Amino acid sequence: MKRVFVRMLVSMLLLAMIVPLSAFAQKKMTITLWTKEGEGEEGLGGETIYGEIVNLTKKFSQTHPGVEFEVVSYGVEDLRQNFQSAAFAGAGPDLLWTVSDHAGPFEAMKLIKPVDEVFDKAYIDKFVKPGIEAVELGGKVWGVPLNVGNHLMLIYNKNLIANPPKDTDELIKVGMELTKDLDGDGKPDQYGLVYNLNEPFFFAPWLGGFGGWPLDGTEPTLNTPAMVNALQFVQDLKFKHKIVPMECDYDAADSLFKEGKAAMIVNGDWSLSSYLTDEVKKKVDLGIARIPKVTETGLWPSPMTSGIYFMFPEYVSDDKIEVIKDFVEYVCSEEVQLMFLEAHMRLPALEEALTNPLVTNDPIIKGSSDQMVVGKPMPTVPEMRAAWDAIRPNQEAVMAGKAKPEDAAKAMQEACENLIREMKK
Amino acid sequence: MLPLTWDIMVQGLSEVVKLVLLVATVVIILEALAYLILVKWLKLKNALAFMLILPALVGVAILILYPFGFNIYLAFSNMSMYRFKEFSVGLKYGIGNLLDVFRVPVLQRVTFFQLFLRTFLWTVINVVFHVLGGLFLAILLNRPMRGKAIYRTLLVVPWAIPQVIAALAWKCEFHYQYGFVNILLEKLGFQSVQWMSDPFWAFVAVVIVNIWLGIPFMMVTILGGLQSISPDYYDAAQIDGASGWQQFRFITLPLLNPILTPAIILGVIWTFNNFNVIYLVTGGGPMEGTDILVTSLYKAVFEFYRYGFGAAYSLVIFLFLLVFSMIYLRISGGFKGAWEA
Repeated sequence: MKRVFVRMLVSMLLLAMIVPLSAFAQKKMTITLWTKEGEGEEGLGGETIYGEIVNLTKKFSQTHPGVEFEVVSYGVEDLRQNFQSAAFAGAGPDLLWTVSDHAGPFEAMKLIKPVDEVFDKAYIDKFVKPGIEAVELGGKVWGVPLNVGNHLMLIYNKNLIANPPKDTDELIKVGMELTKDLDGDGKPDQYGLVYNLNEPFFFAPWLGGFGGWPLDGTEPTLNTPAMVNALQFVQDLKFKHKIVPMECDYDAADSLFKEGKAAMIVNGDWSLSSYLTDEVKKKVDLGIARIPKVTETGLWPSPMTSGIYFMFPEYVSDDKIEVIKDFVEYVCSEEVQLMFLEAHMRLPALEEALTNPLVTNDPIIKGSSDQMVVGKPMPTVPEMRAAWDAIRPNQEAVMAGKAKPEDAAKAMQEACENLIREMKK
Repeated sequence: MLPLTWDIMVQGLSEVVKLVLLVATVVIILEALAYLILVKWLKLKNALAFMLILPALVGVAILILYPFGFNIYLAFSNMSMYRFKEFSVGLKYGIGNLLDVFRVPVLQRVTFFQLFLRTFLWTVINVVFHVLGGLFLAILLNRPMRGKAIYRTLLVVPWAIPQVIAALAWKCEFHYQYGFVNILLEKLGFQSVQWMSDPFWAFVAVVIVNIWLGIPFMMVTILGGLQSISPDYYDAAQIDGASGWQQFRFITLPLLNPILTPAIILGVIWTFNNFNVIYLVTGGGPMEGTDILVTSLYKAVFEFYRYGFGAAYSLVIFLFLLVFSMIYLRISGGFKGAWEA
């Protein structure tokens, strides 16, 4: 009996040693790619962006035998947090497909490699300048751009409004005409304008339109007349002119617009393909314009532009980097970039691809790139995190009618300074 | 969307099988070592008992003791975004972190004590309603009636739905214009409430969601307790002429105590540390009006990269719960039976 037990034990131990050895023998390489693209909306080809990525990796594997990919999708915030935890333990993905603002914290934590160590300068120069500048920190480039843009714009339904407003006075005027109570219950069921009211990212264009910006370098500039005026403006949209819903988050705005219950929406380039599906086309005839010029200042509102980037974890081994480099060049090739443009309305980051007739001839894509030119790159410095979180609760207070714009601006500045101090401790 | 193919299923299953095999191998090696040491070498009388609890002990050590120790280590460090990999550890950092918890605003507007008060309120309101609601429903169910199984199943539904889905569904129901709650209020002749813009109402909203979610657990637990009380006590009490209330007060409640005590302690700890509901329904907003200790802890660590501070902060929360549990156990005597038996 005892002998049987010992024999079993020995054979088990041997088995445990053989299993990992056989894995080495096959000489396979698995590249783990973490992407912020979800399985959410399908593009015009009927494929989600996540699905496109998986297809791209499969095509790549055909030309690179032995290379396999594991594509993992996370929400933007989850990707950042999970990568931090994984990289702290010295493990994690081999390649990141994420947004430009992650470059700031990842660089500060020393979790990613500068792109200059992977690619030569000639390759980096192929991309549009703002795309590279957005991820330049400390004189080095920290990501390879996949798409530029990610910017907000005015999207309108031509069935409800023939011509987009030119300035904010006109916006308010037509907004009031288009906010209607159709069924006579005393509440509007069609709105002039909808957007994610409480989200700082959706407030940023107005801040720019009034001549302000959250940061000057790394210094917060939140308690400014521009901020006060911009806050007053968005508060008035809700309480004085009543052209936006009483409560409106991203999903509510999106649904209202898709159902033809809102004439205009401020939304990003990522949403465009979802407004062009057959289902939505029944109710929405899509038009794109710049967010209307602020009458008081004569400035165009400046949505934050950023983009989607490949970033390279610092711990990835050299032989893997060689393969990853090939993959990045493949995905950033003109052919693939134009595929993303056609199917998902993502503006290419390659200079060459932007001159393609696909970009210059399509009214929607042209509208989107027309808005992008007046946008400003979103600051990538880690201090921006503090600015976001300082703006948010105070913006919420203004939009709830609970704070005066002057007090909110002051509170933002104070909070932002505190947060930066705590972060740097 | 990617279709779920056989390939994917086989791949998933093979990962599971690999892990199970790995765990089994480790357990066998451990047991073999234990057998050699405890039985062959030390010749212990209780060797079998040790061998039986050994895998669980190792599991607890890896999954709980090690992370807990690491948390204490981090609490005495200055780890933050700018010192993510090269942080220093020392007593002065630990003391600084601990003082900071009480000294500086944990978020932007709210300080530790405000958050603590709010967390206290949140916990008390929730647990009181959980226990009262659960007790009420359990007593209703604990008597002969038709269709009992159906009622019981329906009442357990909130517990059976994944919390994330339930919370997100509730979030939509609190929408100003299209949510069920406001539509109902209007039909009843009340004004619509701005649930997601007003901090007070947002707090009410998350409390409602959490009460809804928490009652089934208490109901099931208490129902189990009620069913274990012998009917003989009630028969005797009825012969002595005790009223319904007296029976409840002097038979049901005392005999439920051994069940209620752990349930309440668990309820308090879960509610005190309930992150999901608040994070998913309001995200702590508006104006940080629904943040409690754990949600602000999450923000400090994962949004502001204040790892050292966050670790110290979590230790403070842990100590509060530890002290609470010890005091509650002493007062209620709930575990007495278990120790004396």
